[in-house]
Amino acid sequence: MRIWEHPWGYREGFIVAAGIAFSGLLLQLTVGNIQPALFASPVNSIFGALFVTGLTAVHFLLPKNRTVRWLGGVYAAVPAIAVLLLLCIILGLIPQFPHNSSNEQLPPTLFTPLGWYRMTTSWPFVLLCFYILFILGLTTLKRTGQKQSWRDIGFYLNHLGLFLALGGGLLGSADLERLTMSVNEGEIAWRATNQSGEIKELSLAIQLDTFLIEEYPPRLVIIENETGRILPATRPDSYQFEEVGKTVQIAGVTMEILDYLPHAALFRDSTFLNVVPMMMEGATTAIKVRVNNAEDNQPVEGWVSNGSYLFPHSTLQVSGNRSIAMPPQEIKRYRSYVTLYTEKGTARQAIIEVNRPLPVEDWIIYQYSYDDTKGKYADSSVFELVRDPWLKVVYTGICMLMAGALFLFVAGPKKKADEKDK
Amino acid sequence: MNWDSFIYFAIASLLFWAMGAAAAYKYRNKTIPALLTVAGLLIFALFIAGLWHSLERPPLRTMGETRLWYAFFLPVAGLLTYLRWNYKWILSFTTLLAAVFIVVNITKPDIHNKALMPALQSPWFAPHVIIYMFSYAILGAATLVALYYLIREEKIGNPDRLVQMTDELVYAGTACITLGMLMGAIWAKEAWGHYWSWDPKETWAAATWLGYMVYIHYRLKKNASHKMSMIILLFAFLLLQICWYGVNYLPSAQQSIHTYS
Ligand code: HEM
Repeated sequence: MRIWEHPWGYREGFIVAAGIAFSGLLLQLTVGNIQPALFASPVNSIFGALFVTGLTAVHFLLPKNRTVRWLGGVYAAVPAIAVLLLLCIILGLIPQFPHNSSNEQLPPTLFTPLGWYRMTTSWPFVLLCFYILFILGLTTLKRTGQKQSWRDIGFYLNHLGLFLALGGGLLGSADLERLTMSVNEGEIAWRATNQSGEIKELSLAIQLDTFLIEEYPPRLVIIENETGRILPATRPDSYQFEEVGKTVQIAGVTMEILDYLPHAALFRDSTFLNVVPMMMEGATTAIKVRVNNAEDNQPVEGWVSNGSYLFPHSTLQVSGNRSIAMPPQEIKRYRSYVTLYTEKGTARQAIIEVNRPLPVEDWIIYQYSYDDTKGKYADSSVFELVRDPWLKVVYTGICMLMAGALFLFVAGPKKKADEKDK
Repeated sequence: MNWDSFIYFAIASLLFWAMGAAAAYKYRNKTIPALLTVAGLLIFALFIAGLWHSLERPPLRTMGETRLWYAFFLPVAGLLTYLRWNYKWILSFTTLLAAVFIVVNITKPDIHNKALMPALQSPWFAPHVIIYMFSYAILGAATLVALYYLIREEKIGNPDRLVQMTDELVYAGTACITLGMLMGAIWAKEAWGHYWSWDPKETWAAATWLGYMVYIHYRLKKNASHKMSMIILLFAFLLLQICWYGVNYLPSAQQSIHTYS
C-alpha cells in the first residue's frame, strides 16, 4: 500500500504527528520559546473560541472527507499519543528550567535551541498537544453521529473531559498568576511579588495576627563523635520522646530518660552545663538522660538539647566515640492567623495553613513558607496568592475524567459478544 | 506494632499465599485456594493496620511503606484474576512477586519515624497512594500475562483469551491510575497552588498514563497484533517503574518536590 493513498493508517498517522513535531522544531529554531504572556486574556479566549469553531466547522462542513474521518479515529490518535509520550520521556529525563529564564541561563548544549530545557513551553510540545486536542474534538463529534449506546457515556466523559482539562490547562496557563507575599507578625501587607520579581499592588490586604509552628516531639540519636554520623550507619535509628522514666536502647546504647524540659535555657559555666526552665521566646528543648556505660561501668548523666537561635545545641558524650544528640525537631504544622481586608471594606479573620488554602475573591491564598532563621519562633509568614480564571474549566474536565475512569473500571473493555450484537 | 514484628506476619502471609497457589493446581474448586489467599491477606492487613496505628499516620510515606501495600495488593490482583479467568499459575506468580517485595523490605528497611511533613497531611494522601499501589499491582499482573504470552507465544492454545485478560486488567488498572493521578492533581492544587507543575514525578505519571492510552487505543482495531500489544504493555510497565522509584535516580529529579524519604 502506498503512502498517502486512502484509507490512511498508522503510517500516515506517524508521518503527520512527526511532521507537526518537526514544524514545531522549525518554529522553535526560528522564533524561540513560546512566551505564555503573549497568550494572556483575551488572546487565549479568542483562540479557544476559534479552535472550537474551526473544529465544529471541519466536522460539519466536511463530513465525508476521508482525511477528516481519519483524524477522528484510532489511526491518527495512537501515533499522536505515542509522539507526545516520546516528548514526555525527554521532558522527564532532562532537567527543566523556568520558562522565563533566558537562553544564556541554560546549559550551552544542543538541547537549548531544541527547547528541551523548557519543554512545556516549546513549540513541538504545545503544537502536539493542540493536535491531540483536535483529534479528541473530532473523535467526540464524530461519535455523536453514530447510534448511541450506554457505553458512549464513558466515551464522552473520558474524551470530552480530557478535552476540557487539557484545553483549559493549555490556554489557562497564560492567565495563571502566582504571587508571593511576606508578612511580619503584627503587620499588614497588600503588595506581592510575581515570579519575575516585579511588585504588584493587590485589592486585598493581609494582616498577620499570629504565626504558630507546632513541632513533633524531640528525638534522640547516637552519633559517632568524629564524623557526626547517626548510628547504626546501615540503618540510622532514633528514639522519639514519649515520657520521663522510660528506658530505651538505640544503637546499642541503653539510656534512661530522667527529665524533659520543652522550654529550657542553657547556661554553660566553666565546668557545668546548667539547664533551667524558661517560658520565653528563644527557649530550647532539653532532655536529661543517664547511661550506664558498658565500657567502664561509670554512669554518665546529662542534658541533651537541639538548641535554638539563642542557645547552642548540646550533646552528651557517652564513650570515646559516641555521643547522644538531639536533631532539630521536625515540623508538624504551621499556620497563620490572619485578618483579611478587601477594597470593598470588608474584614474577616481566618486561618491559613498548608493544605488548607483560603479563597478570597479571585485569589486563593496559600501558606507558602516562613522565615526560618528563628526556627520555631519564626514571626514572619510567606503566602502565595494564586489566580487561575480557567480553573473551573479544568476542574469540570477533571471531574468528568474521574467519572469516566469509574465507568471504565466498571464497564471494562468491549466484549466480543457486544460486537456480535451490532 | 513495628517493623521488628514484620518478618513473622510476612512469613505467615507468604505461607498462606503459597498454600493457596499450590491449592489452585490441586483442586478444581476455587474455594480453597481463595480462602487460603484471603487468610494470608488478612494477616498482612493486620500488620499494616497495626503499623498505621503505632505510627499514628498512614504508612505510605517511605518507599518501604509503599512496598508494603504493593506486596498486599499483588495477591489481591492475582486472586481476582484467578477467580475471574481461572488461570492457575497467576497465584504462584503474584505470590512470588509479593515475596520479592517482602524480602526487599526485610533486608533493606528505610528509616521509619512518625513525622509526616505538613504537605502530606491531607485527606487526599491515603486514597491517592493506595489507589496507585492497587493499580500498580493490577498492571503488574497484566505485565506477567504479557510476559507469559511473549515467552510462550507459539505454544499458547487460545491467545485471544489471554489478550482479553490483559485488556480487562489494563482497563481496571488504567482507570485506577487515572483516578490516582487526578486525585494527585487536586491535592497538588490544595497544597502547592497548582494542579500540574510538570514535576518529574508528575511527568513520569503522565508518560505512564500515555503508555496505557496507547495500549487501550491500539487494541481497539480488530487487526491489532497481539505481539505488538504485549510489547506496548511491557513498555508501559517500564515507564511505570520509572514513575514509581526510578525518578529518584534521574538527573531531572534533583529539584523534585516528591522525593520524601
Ligand atoms: C489522549 C487523547 C485521546 C485520544 C486522541 C483518543 C482518541 C480515541 C479514538 C479515536 C477512539 C476511537 C473512537 C471510535 O472509534 O469511535 C477512542 C476510543 C476510546 N477511548 Fe480514547 N482518546 C484519548 C483519550 C482517552 C482517555 C483519557 C480514555 C480513558 C481513560 C480513553 C478511552 C477510550 C476508550 C475506552 C475508547 C473505546 C470506547 C468504546 O468503544 O466504548 N481515551 N479514543
